[in-house]
Amino acid sequence: MSKSIFIDTSICTACRACQVACKQWHDLPAETTKNMGSFQNPPDLSFSTYKLVRMTEEMINGRLEWLFFPDQCRHCVDAPCLETAFDETAIYRDPATGAILYTRNTKQLDADEIIGSCPYNIPRKAADGTLGKCDMCNDRVRNGLKPACVTACPTGAMTFGDRDEILASANKRLEKVRQKFPKAMLLDPNEVNVIYLVAFDPKLYSEYAVASADRGGLSRGVALRKMMGPFAKLLKV
Amino acid sequence: MELNRRDFIKISGATAAGVAVSGLGFDLSQVKSHASMLKTQYAKETTTICCYCAVGCGAIVHTSKRGDGRVINIEGDPDHVINRGSLCSKGSALKQLTENENRLTEPMYRAPYSDKWQTVSWDWALEKITDRVKKTRDMTFEKTNAKGQTVNRTTRIASLGSAAMDNEECWIYQSLMRSLGLVYIEHQARI
Repeated sequence: MSKSIFIDTSICTACRACQVACKQWHDLPAETTKNMGSFQNPPDLSFSTYKLVRMTEEMINGRLEWLFFPDQCRHCVDAPCLETAFDETAIYRDPATGAILYTRNTKQLDADEIIGSCPYNIPRKAADGTLGKCDMCNDRVRNGLKPACVTACPTGAMTFGDRDEILASANKRLEKVRQKFPKAMLLDPNEVNVIYLVAFDPKLYSEYAVASADRGGLSRGVALRKMMGPFAKLLKV
Repeated sequence: MELNRRDFIKISGATAAGVAVSGLGFDLSQVKSHASMLKTQYAKETTTICCYCAVGCGAIVHTSKRGDGRVINIEGDPDHVINRGSLCSKGSALKQLTENENRLTEPMYRAPYSDKWQTVSWDWALEKITDRVKKTRDMTFEKTNAKGQTVNRTTRIASLGSAAMDNEECWIYQSLMRSLGLVYIEHQARI
């Protein structure tokens, strides 16, 4: 049974505890940034920022809505990056948790091809081409702890657990949120293990909040490699 | 999708190379075993209270047992009644109170009218502080007020802080200030 994270953006206050807790646990350095006219900081995900609370201000029904979106890797059920890489020493799935994990061997991959394959635009490359992103705190999860971000969340906007339980609670919560926000929805719940609940149009929160046809997925070459997958495994034996 | 002969060779060639790499050049088990090790596995756990605001969240401090005793990790204490494991962004960064290369580790002194800070020794700094506190306190100490009531106070020294002190340190600090006769004792979090 894979693990899932549910992120209810309707009760997120953008305190950024998740963002800091993530950096803290992974011993990632801070970045030098400039004020870009928003509380969102740093401006984007990077090799040393796996989690970022995106903030946008939108006028919706004549009311100013400040939308918060704690962006991170979705740990896709069928991960395009994993299939694009086709190299288990670089990108693999932990069968116990469902987490998609990047190793230092991602340095040998075509970084831009991997980033391009991600429908959510998550992986980022270091100066030397090594790829980095959220690892769902696999070390913590394997040892019975919750991911650092979920542990830190003071409002309970993030919850963590077995996939079926998280899906059930997400659907239950959606029903309740819809009473106030009729357009509320879960984002790609059947495709990903990090399930977001948004109150408004997901595109307002982040350009890549939902998987879109014009980004990600498998190129022809990758699809061919994927078709060869079972055969390649036979060869290894 | 149909595969033609050329693509097939291309793919099978690439696959063979992949096998060679994973079979000989790199031991995957090493990378994977990393996932099952917790960095706090052999650390000493100590509970504490977050020093920042008045909510008083509980946290667990993981320190190294290898002699240097440095902090490895600080996170919310799931057993604490107030925060049940959660922390805000400031609390989540508690580790940086000790593990940060930008931290000042020596006392700094700026002389009157100077525009520079200089590093001084603890002995020098503490002596200087003691001298000045004693001098001001003795000069301004009031045993009684205008009505003749016993007050034993000084109103010429104020204390501000500190947000970086925990509960017990605050108690000691408060005792010291009261014994000197201070009445203006404040904490910047309340201002």
